[in-house]
Amino acid sequence: MSQVTDTITEPELDAGVEVSAAVIGRSPWELFWRRFRKDKVALLGVAFIAILVLLAITAPLIARFVVHHGPNQLNQDLTNEIGLPAVGPSGNYWFGVDTLGRDMFVRTIYGARTSLTVAFFATGLAVGIGIILGTLAGFFGGWVDTGVSRAIDIVLSLPILLLAIGIAAACSITAAGCLGGLIQPGISLVVAIIALFSWPYIGRIVRGQVLSIREKEFVEASRSLGFTNAGIMFREILPNLAAPVIVYTTLIIPNNILFEAALSFLGVGIPQTTPSWGRMIADAAAGQLYTAAWWMLLFPGVALVFTTLAFNLVGDGLRDALDPRMGG
Amino acid sequence: METLKRSSRVLAVVAVLAIVAAACGGGEEQAPPTGEPSARGGTYRTAIEDFGFTNGFDPTGEYLGTAWGLYSDLLTRTLVTYNHMAGVPGDEIFPDIAESWETSADGLTWTFHLKSGVQFGPPLDRDVTSADVAYAFQRINTKSLIAQYGNYYAGVIEGLTGDAKSQDTPISGISTPDDSTIVFTLSKPTGDFLYRLAMPATAPVPEEVGKCFTKAGDYGRFVISSGPYMIKGQDALDTSSCNAMEPISGFDPDKFMVFVRNPNYDPATDSPEVRSANLDGVVITIDTNTDDIFNKIQSGELDGSWASLPPKPLEQQYLTNPDLTDNFHINSGDRTWYITMNLLVPPFDDVNVRKAVNFVIDKSALQKAWGGPAHGEIATMVEPPEVLPETAEMDPYPSPNHEGDVQAAQDAMSQSTYDSNGDGECDADVCNNVLLVSRNIPPWTDMNPILSENLAEIGINVRIRELETSTAYTTIQTADNLIPIAANAGWGKDYADPYGFDFFIFNSAGIACSGQVNYSGVGMTKDQAAECGPKVLAAWNAATDNGKTPLPSVDEKMDECYGLLDEARTTCWVELDTYLMEEAVPWVPYIWATVFTVTADSVTHWEFDQFSGALSWAHIAVDNGIDPNSVPVG
Repeated sequence: MSQVTDTITEPELDAGVEVSAAVIGRSPWELFWRRFRKDKVALLGVAFIAILVLLAITAPLIARFVVHHGPNQLNQDLTNEIGLPAVGPSGNYWFGVDTLGRDMFVRTIYGARTSLTVAFFATGLAVGIGIILGTLAGFFGGWVDTGVSRAIDIVLSLPILLLAIGIAAACSITAAGCLGGLIQPGISLVVAIIALFSWPYIGRIVRGQVLSIREKEFVEASRSLGFTNAGIMFREILPNLAAPVIVYTTLIIPNNILFEAALSFLGVGIPQTTPSWGRMIADAAAGQLYTAAWWMLLFPGVALVFTTLAFNLVGDGLRDALDPRMGG
Repeated sequence: METLKRSSRVLAVVAVLAIVAAACGGGEEQAPPTGEPSARGGTYRTAIEDFGFTNGFDPTGEYLGTAWGLYSDLLTRTLVTYNHMAGVPGDEIFPDIAESWETSADGLTWTFHLKSGVQFGPPLDRDVTSADVAYAFQRINTKSLIAQYGNYYAGVIEGLTGDAKSQDTPISGISTPDDSTIVFTLSKPTGDFLYRLAMPATAPVPEEVGKCFTKAGDYGRFVISSGPYMIKGQDALDTSSCNAMEPISGFDPDKFMVFVRNPNYDPATDSPEVRSANLDGVVITIDTNTDDIFNKIQSGELDGSWASLPPKPLEQQYLTNPDLTDNFHINSGDRTWYITMNLLVPPFDDVNVRKAVNFVIDKSALQKAWGGPAHGEIATMVEPPEVLPETAEMDPYPSPNHEGDVQAAQDAMSQSTYDSNGDGECDADVCNNVLLVSRNIPPWTDMNPILSENLAEIGINVRIRELETSTAYTTIQTADNLIPIAANAGWGKDYADPYGFDFFIFNSAGIACSGQVNYSGVGMTKDQAAECGPKVLAAWNAATDNGKTPLPSVDEKMDECYGLLDEARTTCWVELDTYLMEEAVPWVPYIWATVFTVTADSVTHWEFDQFSGALSWAHIAVDNGIDPNSVPVG
């Protein structure tokens, strides 16, 4: 009852034909799905992501049963005397090997695990923070709004990469890390940094949405029926945020994937024991190794590009499908 | 007869003139011994990822091998020095500021006679005197200046304790009866004393500048030249007061170091055998991108490398292309690279664990990460082969092809209390998340996964911290950090005697709360631990069961070897090193690295300085005709 519905009518029939069909009402989700289905490019993106997720989830099984090599399995026999990879893409090693004889195919799909894990957790955290702070700011206004809005402004104006490098570097130099061991180089630090810099995007969108929804009649109606603030927020406002939040979340994911790759490329991201596309690209670029082993650069690079592209296409498709007016 | 007398007189004069002309030819251009056309002039331009200085380039405490090359070849002269050439001849002693010296019969009094005409560069413009040499020792004696190898002098020269509060305090065992004489009184006969006088901390420091710098490292940007070259901009130094002095413009620790000729250098006070001083200048720039450095060498923008490893695809070319044979040089490095384990920190406080680590490491893979046999021999003992050849063939932890012996490692581990079920893998909590400090540049980036994998086989799960060169060193040099295990370190000989290699890294004299180079803590006493804070003391108590089982130590044995000569000395050192590797086991040495230098075609004469383990600035020649003042930096 609190949701705005839309209706669509059947296409106009010729004048002579009897109009007997009734007007069919469709829920917003059905409408969304119909529009989304028509966007072929977005569907392609979804397919790619689905395959990627499947590969990421089954990576350990693939490593063990399909190719029989682990991601960190060193093999000195596959490198030449001075440590250059001696095996390119071939029968046993579909993507070739790296300078330590590790299977590049397995490392690439394990890299997908890293990218997707970090992207989802970091994005999830960012979205969580963004929804909470954005809703509070939009709903209560006044002090809360000022505080959150200024926080958003400040974070958005920070030089992200420099700060991330600085924090990661500063927390590496002593054994304990920062804050008495709380912040140490590793996945949690990367997730925290990425979340720290992404939540303002969601926060801002949510705040704007809440501001407009707050004025709508159904909210007034709920208030007059005696619902508390919390009740209104949960029953009326949050469900209406679903659409924009989904869209912007999907659009933030590729940014976060690239952010993690950038941090790993610079050596301040995921420690080298976990394969990461960014780190693999850095290793291939170091010492211009790609001139002697192009496969070390191509596969993680292509994987990164296609994954980012896929998420962007899906995000665009979602945005067009959920609310064609929102697109721009 | 008159006519004959006159002509013979003329002949005599001519002969004398000819002899005098030949003898006085020292100051002019001389053809290099090889008979090549004049090699003088030009600038050697090079780059490095990071200077990596251990003490900010302050000679009193600076311990980086490549820095020593800059001091000894270019910047500062010492009482005696080396000839800055390659191989065994490069380890012989030559006079430098001192022209002669005598030792008393009991070996306790050493008297040096200084040459006249050795001058400091502008703006000082004055002769180096014995007081300046004494002042350098007073700085070594000053505690706050952290003379990292001060223990070569403390306890050796009377009155030099290393604990002085100020550099103005004179040392009772050093006297300067006049400007050109300096006398050292030793507390015990020290056969290798001359080697210790060739080290850069003993180079004369002018008090009028030195007095302004009382904190370790600060003098590093103000080093006054006594050698053939000075840091560009030294002449613009305002020495009127300490406050007026600005760091010399030619050295920016983050960007560049430029050397130009010292106008006050008189080659007649030096020997072309020791320093040819062919170059007009040296320009070193910081370039964090190793590939960029080698690209520039290939394009001619740089004349050669200094201490960077070439990227492997490029190295492959140099090794296989016959046209490039003259462009790369492989020299013996007199340097051991190793993994150090901290005797205070579990699980490495248990010798069985340390032995297990020695067995499990795949040294052949590590050598490959370095670039294969061209980059050095696999190390099995602590001393490089040229320093103590008698131990080079020993291998207390053998494995087929040096690939590591997992079975033997697990056998050793099973004898440790940290392996409660005896399966050969550590199962104690202390074996999880063990911090391993390493570097963030090749070859360490390839070594780190190998170390991870190897150690995991005995149940030690490491968390690798990849740090910049100098940060890595500082981190493990701080006792309070209690870093369990580190792979970033290498150690070169200080001089060509086992004492010059082993002393600081294994004697308790090398233990300090900051600037410690005995990283493992061999021979650490309770007092030393207590001085470094409660954390270190607690670790020491835990590791030694409150002093009941003291840490392994080589102090006594080293004292024994100190006074011996020849065969007896060699045997003593072999015993000491065998004890170190078989019973104390502080290290896993893995490579005796060669030095691999790449040069451009502009380099017409190549020489290697065995003393510092890098190219010989003193003898190298280039034909690019470039003026060092014209090279853009920063």
